[in-house]
Amino acid sequence: MKRIFRLHRIFISQHLKRLMEYKVDFTVGAIGFLLGQAVEILFIGIIFSQIPDLAGWTFDEILFIYGFSLIPKAIDHMFFDNLWMIGYSIVRKGDFDKYLTRPINSLFYVTVEKFQVDAFGELLMGIILITYSLIRISGNIMWQRALILLLLVPFAVLIYTSVKILTSAISFWTKQSGHITHMFYAVNDFAKYPVTIYNDFIKVIITYIIPFAFTAYYPASFFLRGENGWFCVLGTVLISLALFGISLIVWNRGIKAYESAGS
Amino acid sequence: MKKLFKTYSPFSRAGVQSAMAYRANFIFFLIGEIFKCFVMYFVWRAVFDSSQNQNFMGFTMEDMTVYVFISFLTGYLSFSDGAFALGEEIVDGSVSMRMIKPCSFDMCFLFQELGNKVINYSIMFVPIVLGVEIYRFVITGAVQFNIVSFVLFFVSLQLAYLINFYFNVCYGFLAFFLKNLWGTNLIKDVIVGFLSGSTIPLAFMPDALQTVLTYLPFASLSYTPVMIYMNMYSPFQIAFSMLLQAFWLAVFVLVSKMIWHFAMKHLCIQGG
Repeated sequence: MKRIFRLHRIFISQHLKRLMEYKVDFTVGAIGFLLGQAVEILFIGIIFSQIPDLAGWTFDEILFIYGFSLIPKAIDHMFFDNLWMIGYSIVRKGDFDKYLTRPINSLFYVTVEKFQVDAFGELLMGIILITYSLIRISGNIMWQRALILLLLVPFAVLIYTSVKILTSAISFWTKQSGHITHMFYAVNDFAKYPVTIYNDFIKVIITYIIPFAFTAYYPASFFLRGENGWFCVLGTVLISLALFGISLIVWNRGIKAYESAGS
Repeated sequence: MKKLFKTYSPFSRAGVQSAMAYRANFIFFLIGEIFKCFVMYFVWRAVFDSSQNQNFMGFTMEDMTVYVFISFLTGYLSFSDGAFALGEEIVDGSVSMRMIKPCSFDMCFLFQELGNKVINYSIMFVPIVLGVEIYRFVITGAVQFNIVSFVLFFVSLQLAYLINFYFNVCYGFLAFFLKNLWGTNLIKDVIVGFLSGSTIPLAFMPDALQTVLTYLPFASLSYTPVMIYMNMYSPFQIAFSMLLQAFWLAVFVLVSKMIWHFAMKHLCIQGG
């Protein structure tokens, strides 16, 4: 375990060195992302200029859910971004050989190889939105719940990462699965708003099948309102662990099916 | 005209072939993108459920749904990234090959992308339009499809694509100054998305801003075709906005040609 953390540190520092070469790109990318989010917030603002609440949630609560949804997404994006490349190119080009021949777990190696700084924009935006909304609703907040919410963040990250592991492992059989990953990953858009606005079909899908609802709405609604505590908290933990377990099984089977590209 | 097609149709064929090869990828990608439309649809439904009146700044729930899906369709079919390849060629120097070939650079990109578009149209155009029309029929109980608006929409959509194409060619030349287009591309997409009304309908913006945005080229990229499809424009507005589209197309064609000639005189490629 200690070795793994040491290796992770080395990977990150290597990546940061590379990054320093492209400071302008990084800044420009972060500005682009922040602008994109600002437009979405503006959109929510325009909606709320006409209605007092959205499906029973106030403007500040919606901002909180939206902001909280960015946190696990950003953490996953920052540390485990390289998984995308498995489905897009690593397997197809036969580059996966490299990971199999190193004396560390191939999944761990490929996952942490890249440190994605672009994610700072998301993280920053999430923190700003959470802080802003909390200042405005601080009167009704149970601060004990904040601790539980914090503890749920790693599990929410695990849901993102597991979806990526599971879908990129498909490429071991099909050579390419980046677009399948994109399709499943895109479901996280539903997590930005309260699950109660969707119809039952979508509710079931984002709760049990592709459980992105547990990355934002369920933990956040428990924090804000304290309703369905057991379902929201235990659900997040159990569902994320189950999904992670399944993704590991599929990944390990996939590695057995992997054939390198001829050179 | 015949010679033009003879010269450039191989590029279109190549575009069709590459799009065919990655057809499955495109479909997966598309499904992922359509999820976003459904998120917006449900957000709007919740908005109308929470609101006392059935009219949100001049849009009904039915209008809003059509807006979300048709503006997605328009955005996708008028999307152009041929010029992104131009930027990459400038960065890696292979643009020099373009200068020794007896064909014009913009036509090569354009025809290649048109081949690509044929496949994209065949996959998404009919399902989305049909879906929207069935939805409108179920909601209102009458056929809302209007052939005149549809034809005008189609023409306006093609103009939007061409404007987008030449706008992006102009943008691609920025690669002469910036070595990496990824970040600036992100900023450009956000700004264009906002100003063209594809993120938020222009009708929701403050009046003064709305007037300014109507005259800027961005409304021509997405808002104009969508409004025509939705029958929101009067005949005068349609004529005016389509003329404006033609005007901006001419401007961007001219500017891109000018930059190309200027750039070719100053281009310096190492190695190769």
